[in-house]
Formats: sequence, C-alpha cells, structure tokens
Amino acid sequence: MRFPFRSKSVLRSLAVLAAAGLAVTGLAACSGGGASQGAAGSATKGTINWWGWTPTNTDEAKGFIAAFNKQYPDIKVNFKLVGISDYQAAMRPALASNNGPDVYDLQPGAYVQQFGSYAEDLTPVAKKALGSDWKSKIAKIAVDGLSSKGKLTALPIGSTFAGSLWYNADLFKKFDLQPPKTLDEWKQVCATFKANNVGCFAQGASQEGFDQDTLQAIANSVDPGFWTKASKGDEKWDSPQIVKTLSIWKELFTSGIMQEGALGAQQYPDVNNAFLTGKYAMVMMGSWYTQYATEAAMTQAISAAGVAGAKPFPILPMQFPDVAGKGNTSEMFGDADYGLAVASKSKNRAAAETFVTWMATSKDGQQQIADRLDTTPVLAGVAPNFDKIAFVDPSIQSGPVNDYLKGTASVDEPRFALLNADIENAFLAAAQSVASGSATPQKAAATLQQAADAAKAANG
Amino acid sequence: MTVASQRLTASGVGSSSRPRRRLTAPGLPWILPALVLSVGLIYYCIAYTGYISTLNWDGASPDKISVGAQNYLNIARDPIFWRAIWHTVAFFVVTFVVQTVLGVVFAVIMHSRIRLAVLYKVVVFVPVVLAPAIMAPVFRQIFAADGQLNWLLAHVGLGFLAQPWIGQESTALPVIMVITIWQWTGLTFVLYYAAMSQIDQSLLEAARIDGAGNLRTLVSIIWPSLRGTTVALAILGAIGALKTFDVPWLVTIAGPNNATQFLGTYIYQMTIQLAHVGYGAALSIVLLVIALAMAIVLQLVGREDGGGRAGRAARRREREGR
Repeated sequence: MRFPFRSKSVLRSLAVLAAAGLAVTGLAACSGGGASQGAAGSATKGTINWWGWTPTNTDEAKGFIAAFNKQYPDIKVNFKLVGISDYQAAMRPALASNNGPDVYDLQPGAYVQQFGSYAEDLTPVAKKALGSDWKSKIAKIAVDGLSSKGKLTALPIGSTFAGSLWYNADLFKKFDLQPPKTLDEWKQVCATFKANNVGCFAQGASQEGFDQDTLQAIANSVDPGFWTKASKGDEKWDSPQIVKTLSIWKELFTSGIMQEGALGAQQYPDVNNAFLTGKYAMVMMGSWYTQYATEAAMTQAISAAGVAGAKPFPILPMQFPDVAGKGNTSEMFGDADYGLAVASKSKNRAAAETFVTWMATSKDGQQQIADRLDTTPVLAGVAPNFDKIAFVDPSIQSGPVNDYLKGTASVDEPRFALLNADIENAFLAAAQSVASGSATPQKAAATLQQAADAAKAANG
Repeated sequence: MTVASQRLTASGVGSSSRPRRRLTAPGLPWILPALVLSVGLIYYCIAYTGYISTLNWDGASPDKISVGAQNYLNIARDPIFWRAIWHTVAFFVVTFVVQTVLGVVFAVIMHSRIRLAVLYKVVVFVPVVLAPAIMAPVFRQIFAADGQLNWLLAHVGLGFLAQPWIGQESTALPVIMVITIWQWTGLTFVLYYAAMSQIDQSLLEAARIDGAGNLRTLVSIIWPSLRGTTVALAILGAIGALKTFDVPWLVTIAGPNNATQFLGTYIYQMTIQLAHVGYGAALSIVLLVIALAMAIVLQLVGREDGGGRAGRAARRREREGR
C-alpha cells in the first residue's frame, strides 16, 4: 500500500497519534478500579448526590431533604430515583467511575455483596453519633443485614418485614367473611370470592423476592425457623421440610387460591394495581404496605393505578395462614429495608456523612421516616405519630395496624440478609418450575440445594 | 486471471495506470479516524470481552480469577443456554416465515392500486417506529389473564380459549413471537414493496401473455425476483433473533420458568443481576460467533443462487445481448 506522504516522519507521527488514541481509549475503558481517597470536604457545606430506588415517591425524598435542610441549610442534596429493576445496571458503572453518587441506597443480601465494596465503613460514623454502644440503639436486625466482613456498608434507615398478608376490609365485610387462618379456610374464602366474581389472592410470582416471601412464610408454618437455618447452611434445602413447603406452594396454584396467570404477573405494578383497584381481596405484602392504610397514600396510590375519582378503602394486615396445619404461627421475617451508604470515592464524604447520620441516627430524621409508614424506623424510641396520621377508617384500622407494627419489634429472622443473588435466582426457578408443573417439589428442592452448594463453592 | 486483473497488477508501473492509483492511494489516512474509532471502541471491546470471558469475576472486585475456558465448558453444559438457543431458532423460523408471508401479501395488495393505500401503508408501518418499552405494558395488559384478549374471546363466544397467555410456559413464547411479528411486519412489507417496484414490467407482461394468473405470477415471477430482499431480511431477522432482548424482558422477564429466555436476556441476567461478569462475557462471545456464522451462511446461501430463476433469466438475456 502506498501513502500520499512526502516524509515518513509525518506518517510515523500519525501512527503514534493513532496508537495514543487507542491507548487512551483502552485506558479509559480499563480505569475505574481502586478508590481514590481524596479530601472529605466540609461537613456542613456542599452538594451531594443521592441515588436510590427508594423512596419510590420522589416527593417523599424531597420531604426528607427539606427537613434535613432546616438543620443543615448549606448542604444541597440531589435525589435521583433509579428504578429497582435498573438499579444494578446503573450502579455498577456509576460506582466504578469517578462521577458516581456520594450517597446511595443499599439493601441486605445481593446489593451489599455487590456494591458494599464501594462504600466506606460507617462504623466510626455510627459510634460518633450514638456512642460506643451504638448497636444497642439501632435495630439489630437492620445492622446485621448491612454489615459485611466486619464493615458497616450503610447506615440503616428503616426496617421492613414480610410474611404477612393485607386484605380489603370492605370486600370481606361485603361477603361476610373472616380472614382465613388455615389452608382449608383460605380455600373456602377464595371459593366464595370466586363465586361472586371477585379475585381472592394475588401475587406477582414472576419475581423472586415476593415468591421467596411466600415460600419463607409457608416454611415457617411447616417448621418455624427451618428456612433461616437452611439459609445459614445449617440445614439442607432438599430436606423434607422444604419439599413440603414447595408442595403447599403448588397447592396454592392448584386449589384456586393464587390468581390465574400469577407466574406472568409482577408484584409492581400488576398485583399492586389490581389490589388497589379492588379486583382482589388479599395480597402478599409486608410492612411497607402500612402506608396504604392512610387515606392520603391510599388515595394517591389508587389514582396512580389509573382509577379516576379514587375512593380509598380500608386495608388491614393479617397473619399468614397456618397452611401446614401444624398449629405453628407463621412468624414474620425482615431486615433493613434500605440503608444509606457513603461512596468511598465521594469528594464530599463529610457532607454525605452528615446527611446519612441525620437520616439514620437523629430523632428528627427517623421521625420523618416513621410518619411515612413506608418503612419502620430503626432508632430506638422512635415510633409513628398516629395523632398526625389519618387512616382511611380509624375505627377498624388503628388497633390492628398498631399491633402489627408493634409485632415487628420482636422479629429476629432475616429476609434477604443471608442470601446472595444466585440463591434468590434459584428460589425463583424452584417456585416457577413447581408451580408450572415442570418439576416436582422433590426435584426442585434438590436443584435448590445444588444451587446453594454451587454458590457456596463459588463465594467461599 | 482475467484481463482486468492483469491490468490492475500492471498498474503500479505503467503510466496508463495513474488514474486508478489516484483513486486508491489515499485510503489509509482517510479511513484513519474511523479505524481508530472502530478499533478503539468496537474491536477493543470485543477483545476485552474475550479476555473477561476467561475470568471468574463479578465486575467490581479487584480479584479476577483466571479460569481459562471453564466458562465456555460451563456454557456447553448449561441447560438454560440450550433452551435460549432453541427459543432463538424457533423464534427466528416462526417470525421470519410469518413476517415474510404477511410482508409479501401486503406489498402485493398495495401494488394492486387499492383505495386508501397510503393510509394502509401508514397503519402497517406504524408499529415499526413505536418503542418496545412503550408497547410492553400495553401487551402485558392485553395478554394478562384478565386482559383484553381474554375479554374479547369471552365476548365472541370463544371464552373456552381464554388462557393466562404470559403466565404459562406453553403460550409465553408464542406471545413474544406475535408481538415481534406485529412490530416488524411493517419493515418487511416496505422492503418487499420497494423490491416489487424494481421488477421488470416486461417480465410480468410476458407472464400474462403466456396465460399466467395472479397466483402463478406471484409464485413464478414476483417471488423469485424478491430473493435478494428475502436473503437480506433473513440475515437481519437471524441477527435480530440472536439479539432479542427488549420484548421478552419487558413483557415476561424471560419467564415464566425461562420459557422466554433468549441469549440477550440471559447475558443480562448473568452479567447484571447475578454479577457473573465472566460467564456473561463468555455468553456474549458465543453470541458473536453464532451471529457471524449465521450471517456468513445466509450470505453464502443467498449468493449461491442469487436472483433465482428470474435473476438467471435476466443474466441469460444479458449474456445473449452481449
């Protein structure tokens, strides 16, 4: 090949430029590893960027920030809502770059394992704010889930609990029904609703987190605590208890309890909208659903579900039925709903720590969390101010909702904290294959154990 | 060696070759920016993905464990991978055949001077420009157990056909195919419509004179003349099937129970959700190899008999004319 250059040096220069361009491109692509520990900045001034999948309502986040700014007016907080389905995809490159968030949401389990390495250890921050006995002042279950290898990856903001159902009190009253306490009662209630063209129970069984909630609730009816032991590796997933759990799960589908097409439904928005528009009488939701007991949140949610002239209805929590028929009370389980992590690469770490500390350890910040009823405050001594919270029908809701929230205080079984993404994915595969009939409960349980073994071998 | 190529070979020394050299010599510097860009951004990334595919890595940890070809061996033993391949093949065959048939039929109808042809063209083509992300919730609603399709079936006396379409393994993949056919038939139609406009009218007139009816003309004259377009659509369809991600992910999340799992969705699950970046990279390389192989095979098949009978006839006439 011939080139139109009079001098070879021109050609060489171009070649060098091209090589440099390639090298820069390559280096740019390769860069991103390793945290830069620059100056932490001012603790009372600056701008910080907070990324999270929750609060899902940006107005709620703005409310927190406004309350924070009353005390720290010179720290500007920008909240960016990243949908939970996009969270992993968005956070990985953001945290690896030098332009990621200063503060970001973390959840026990897979998120802590995947993104905890980008966070600074907040143990000293917690000690400074609450003293050396800080652990006794924050819900233990929330701290445990956000700790990894001795590092507190995020300060817990609130706890969340699952293993309960919520029901439409109006529909139960209309057909003179009581919340079911056993599997047989559940079948009868569903038969009545079906006979009256009302959906009975709905769940988004296409998503692992919610399938896992129902499976764990069933397992707690079969053998309380067994699920947690298996999660820790102290018991096998292919044990008879899990086989029985999966058999009952299958029965929910074959007996007409679970809604038709559940395997293709997503909890959000499908099931949530279906319940809030009165199409179904019961739904598998946890403590985060308490917010919809209030008139304001319920009205807003129904409106968001596409109903014009939203008319709120009272919802009530109920215990998961004793589906195994062994007389076991199916206890709830939970851990930190989310915690706020401070990125170790942040150039405004001091201001970020100020914000996170205020949200997690101050009474003002935690009261903001408590009064939203979206997540349960983790700081001891903080509870929702029910004088300010307007239920849809206080006469029937105040008592049960209060009792429900008080009951979460004694929960000691974790929800996600002991599990990694591979195991959660295996739960989904087991739940769906059993429900669809492509695997027996025995086979699915064996596959679950294989996945747990593989995950253990891979992760050490 | 032909005379033409001998001239090219000799062009380096003969004065008569100057015009040719002027056309080819400045090649490298002109393509240098594009070369840097493509090598830097595309080929580098492919090479880097190839490197990652030999690692057991979560994409974030500083510890990258080299596992050689283990990821590829695991892929060969992975039943979900083979399910995704099977779904891709079935998806390609069904969507390609149905889109081709519909595209040809629509194009023929539009060429038959019907009234409101422009309106029909717009109606058929509109789905092509609608983003799957916008349409996915609509289709989720339509195909839900209590969705509009089942409502419609019930109201026309076919309620016994009602299904939880996206909630069961047996119907989830066909739903994805239907959505894809709905979306891309417009493009197939437009390309066939344009290709039909290029068919020599004398061929059609000769067929009519020879007594060929509409169907005979379509099968023996029009269809063979569309071979180039069909091959191009087959290549695009095959690569599109391999890259399928948006519709199955947004409508069924690749489920239920992996019933709508494709290579694209599996790569996403492995890489992003499960943080098996090395395994996901290996799947990406496998996808690249399959796409290249498929494009080459389809191209060769297309060239083998380029133009079909009509093409051969045209070439014969050219030779005879010469």
